[in-house]
Amino acid sequence: MNNSTSSRPRSTVERVNANLTKRYAKERRFKRMGLGAIIISLMFLVLLFGSIISNGYGAFWQTYVQLEIHFEPEDLDPQGSRNPEVLSAADYGGLVKSTLRDMFPKVKKRKEKRKLYDLVSSGAAFQLREMVMSNPDLIGSTVQLWVPADDDVDMLIKGHIDRHKPESDRRVKDQQIAWVDALQREGKIEKRFNTTFFTAGDSREPELAGIHGALMGSVFTLLITLALSFPMGVAAAIYLEEFAPTNRFTDFIEVNINNLAAVPSIVFGLLGLAVFINFFGLPRSIPLVGGLVLTLMTLPTIIIASRAALKSVPPSIREAALGIGASRMQTVFHHVLPQALPGMLTGAIIGMAQALGETAPLLMIGMVAFIVDVPANMMDPATALPVQIYLWADSPERAFMERTSAAIMVLLAFLISMNMLAVLLRKKFEKR
Amino acid sequence: MQPNTQTVSSVTPLMVCTDIEPIAAHDNRKTVGEISVDNPRMSCRNVNVFYGEKQAINRVNLDIGRHEVIAMIGPSGCGKSTFLRCLNRMNDTIDSCRVTGEILLDNQNIYDKTLDVVPLRAQVGMVFQKPNPFPKSIYENVAYGPRIHGLSSSKSDLDIIVESSLHRAGLWNEVKDRLDQPGTGLSGGQQQRLCIARTIAVSPEVILMDEPCSALDPIATAKIEELIDELREEYTIAIVTHSMQQAARISQRTAYFHLGDLIEVGETNQIFTNPQHKLTEDYITGRFG
Amino acid sequence: MNKMTEGHTVKRFDDEMVFLHRLVLEIGSLAQNQLKRAVQTLNDKDPSAARDVISRDQELNDLDVQADEEFINLIVKRQPMAKDLREIITISKAVSDLERVGDEARKIAQLTIHIYDTDSSPPNKQVLRDINTMAAFVGDMLKSSLIAFDELDAPKALDVIRLDSELEEEYKSALRRLTTFVMEDSRAIGHMVDVVLGLRALERIGGHAKNIAGYVIFLITGSDVRHESVECIEKQII
Repeated sequence: MNNSTSSRPRSTVERVNANLTKRYAKERRFKRMGLGAIIISLMFLVLLFGSIISNGYGAFWQTYVQLEIHFEPEDLDPQGSRNPEVLSAADYGGLVKSTLRDMFPKVKKRKEKRKLYDLVSSGAAFQLREMVMSNPDLIGSTVQLWVPADDDVDMLIKGHIDRHKPESDRRVKDQQIAWVDALQREGKIEKRFNTTFFTAGDSREPELAGIHGALMGSVFTLLITLALSFPMGVAAAIYLEEFAPTNRFTDFIEVNINNLAAVPSIVFGLLGLAVFINFFGLPRSIPLVGGLVLTLMTLPTIIIASRAALKSVPPSIREAALGIGASRMQTVFHHVLPQALPGMLTGAIIGMAQALGETAPLLMIGMVAFIVDVPANMMDPATALPVQIYLWADSPERAFMERTSAAIMVLLAFLISMNMLAVLLRKKFEKR
Repeated sequence: MQPNTQTVSSVTPLMVCTDIEPIAAHDNRKTVGEISVDNPRMSCRNVNVFYGEKQAINRVNLDIGRHEVIAMIGPSGCGKSTFLRCLNRMNDTIDSCRVTGEILLDNQNIYDKTLDVVPLRAQVGMVFQKPNPFPKSIYENVAYGPRIHGLSSSKSDLDIIVESSLHRAGLWNEVKDRLDQPGTGLSGGQQQRLCIARTIAVSPEVILMDEPCSALDPIATAKIEELIDELREEYTIAIVTHSMQQAARISQRTAYFHLGDLIEVGETNQIFTNPQHKLTEDYITGRFG
Repeated sequence: MNKMTEGHTVKRFDDEMVFLHRLVLEIGSLAQNQLKRAVQTLNDKDPSAARDVISRDQELNDLDVQADEEFINLIVKRQPMAKDLREIITISKAVSDLERVGDEARKIAQLTIHIYDTDSSPPNKQVLRDINTMAAFVGDMLKSSLIAFDELDAPKALDVIRLDSELEEEYKSALRRLTTFVMEDSRAIGHMVDVVLGLRALERIGGHAKNIAGYVIFLITGSDVRHESVECIEKQII
C-alpha cells in the first residue's frame, strides 16, 4: 500500500512545493546581491565625501595673527596731504615688518628677520592699505588688527606640519615655531572663518586664494550654455520628432547627433579654439567662448533627451488634438510640449551638470589661465570651478590641498542646488 | 456640383460591371449589396490605401448617407480602421501611408491637393478607441476645439458651447459641479463621453468612431450607444466596432470588410439575418478561420 | 450534420445546433409514426390501440417543451446571427407544426374510438378508403418535408409545397364523394361527420408539412415564402 502511493506520480502541488524553497532561495540571493551592490556603492560615496570633507573643511577656517599697528604719519603721509596717490604708494609692507620687529625685539640678524616677516601673509600689507585708503583718519592712530597668517603658519596651527621631523625637512623652522608658540600663549593667534575663500579670486598665496572668481566664471559660462543650448536643443528635437519627414537626410542627422554625444569633450575644445577664437577672433579665456563650446558639447545630450521626452508623450494625445482639427503646431505647443517639458528639463539639467564638470574643452580655449580678478561679466577673462580645482590640485603648497577639497565641495554644492532646482521645476510642470 | 455628378457616374459602372478583373481570385472583391445612397454625405470611390508596399485597402467604394449610423465590421486587420481614418485624413500622420482614389465630403474631394486638412477635421470629427481626454480640466477639454477654430466670440459664448456639448453628450449633470477638475480623473465611460462632447463642440458634420466602446464596461457601453442613437438626429456617424451585436443595435447600414476588401454592405437588418456573401455570413455567425 | 449547423469557431455551438436539428428529426419521426399508427388503428378497427396512440401524444408534447427550452437557451448563450438565427427560427416553428401533426393524429385515433367502440354498426368500408389514400399522401408530404429540412433540399421543399395544392384537390373530391354517400344513405350521417373530421385532420397535417417546407426555403434563401405562389418561390430558389 505504501509502495503504491510513493511510486504514484506526485501531484502538481507537491512538485511545485519541492521547487519552491529553491526558487525562494534564488530570489533571496538575488535580493542580497542587489542590496550588496547598493551598500558597496554607498560606501564608496561615503568614502569619497568623507575624504573630501575631512580634507577640505579646514580651508573654511584661516589662522589670523593679531598685530598692534601704529599708523605712523611720518612713514605713510609725510606731508599730511591725505592724497590717495601718496597713500597708495606708501610702504605698508614696511609697516607690518616694523610692527613684527617691535613684537620680537630680540631678533636682530637679517636672516632671522626674514623668517619673522614670513609669519604673516603678504596680504597683510594690502589689507592695511585698503583700510587706510578707505579711512585716511586712521593715520596717526594705533589699531589692534587681525591679519591673515602665512599659509605655513596656518598649516602648523592646523597640525598639518609635523614638529618632530628634522628641521631641514619642514617648511617651518624651529625658531618660527617658537615665535608662533609665543604668540599663541599671548592669545595673539586665532582661527577665524575664512571669508577670503568666498570673496577673493585666485592667488599665488593660499591664504589669499578664493573660489569666487572661478564660481562666477562657471556661473557665466553655464548661463550662456543654458541660454543657447536649451532653446536650440528643444527646437531641434521638436522639429526632428514632430515635423521632419523620415527620410535618408533625417536619418543621417539622427545618426550624427548620436555620434556627437559620444565625441570626447576635448574635441569640442579644439573646435571652439579653431572656430570661435581663431576664426571669429573672440578673446581667449572668456566665459562667452567657454559657454559657446559647452553649448556645442551639451546640445546632443539635450536633443536626445528632449526627443525621448517627446516620444514618451502618448500618441493618443496627438491624435485627440489632430482629430478635432488642431494644426500640427497647435498640437505640439498646446498638448505635446507641456507633457514633455519635465523630461526635457531633466535632460537639460543632466547636460548642464555635465557642462559644469567639464574641464578639457575649457583648457583648450584658455580658461586655465591664472586669473586673480573676479570676472564681472561674460567678456572678462575667467576660469571655471573644475579648472580651478585642477590648478590648485597641481600646486605644491600644502594649504592648496585643503583648498582643492574645499573647491570640490563648492562645486558639489553648486551641482546639488542645480539639481534641486530641476526637481522643483519638474514638480511644478508635472502638476499642471 | 457638376463635376461631382460626373465622377460618380463615371465610377459607378465599375461596381455594376463584373468582369473588369480577369483574375479569378478577384471575384470576391466585388462588393455585394448597394454601396450608394441618395444624396450621400460622404462618397468614397476606388479608395486604395498603401502602407509602404503593402496594400491595406483595396478599391473600396462606399457612400455614407446623411443622418445615418454606418457600422464597419470585420476581423482584425481587415482595414476597417484604416478606412475610417481615411475619412478625415488621420492617415496623413503616418509617413508611409498613401491614399489613392477619391473621397467626397459634400461633393468636395477631401484628398484634393488644395484642401486644407484643418477645417476638414473640424467637419469630420473623430472619437478614438481609448478615451483620450487632454490632461486638462473638463471645461478646457471641451472648449479647446471651439477656441482654436475661433467658434466663440466671448467667454460667455464659449460657456454656452461647452454646456450644450456636455448636455448633448449626456455628461452635463455628472460634471457640472467640477468643470475645473482634470478630465483624466473621470471614469472610462465618462472620459469617452467627454471625448464625444469635445468632438461635437466644434459642430462637425460627420463623427467617426473607432471602436469607441471597446475599453468600456457594458453599462458605459449602453450609455454611449444610447448617445450615438441620439446624435444621429444631427450628425452622420461612421463607427468601427468589433461587437456585431453593437453594430446590429446601433447602425442602419453595415459594411463588412475582409483583408482590405469591402465584401458586403447593406441594411443592418438584412446583413445580420440574411447576408449575401459567404465571408460575411461566416464572420457574423462565428465560423471564421 | 450539415453546413447550416457546423463550422463554428466555438465547437460547443455546433454541438448544440446539431442536437436541436436532431431533435426536430426525432419529433418529426415520432409524429409520422403517430400518424401511421392512428390510421392503422382505423384499418384494424382496434380502439385499444387507438387509446395507446392518444396516450403517446404526451411524449410528443414533452419533446416540444424540451425543444422550446433548448432553443431559448441557445439564443441566450450564443446570440445566433444570420443562418444560425434562421435555423433556430425554423426549428422552433417546425417543432410547433410537428406537435400539431401529433394532435391531428390523435384526432384520427379518436375517430377509431368513435366508430368502433360504440354499439352502432361500423360504416361502409368505402367511406374509409379516402382516409387511407389521403393518409398515405400526407405521410409522404411530411416525410419529404423532413428530408428537405435535414438535407437543406430546396427543390424537394418546393415539391412539398406543390403537393399541397394536389392535396387540396384530393380533399375536395373526397368531400364530394362523402356527400354522395350521405345522399345514398342518410342513416350513416353520424359516421360521415366523424370521417369528415378525420379528413380535415389529414388535410391539416398536409398544411403543416407545407409550412415546414416553407420554413426550409426561408432557412436556405432567407426569404419568407409561406404566402407566395409556387412560381414566385421557384424564381427565388433558382
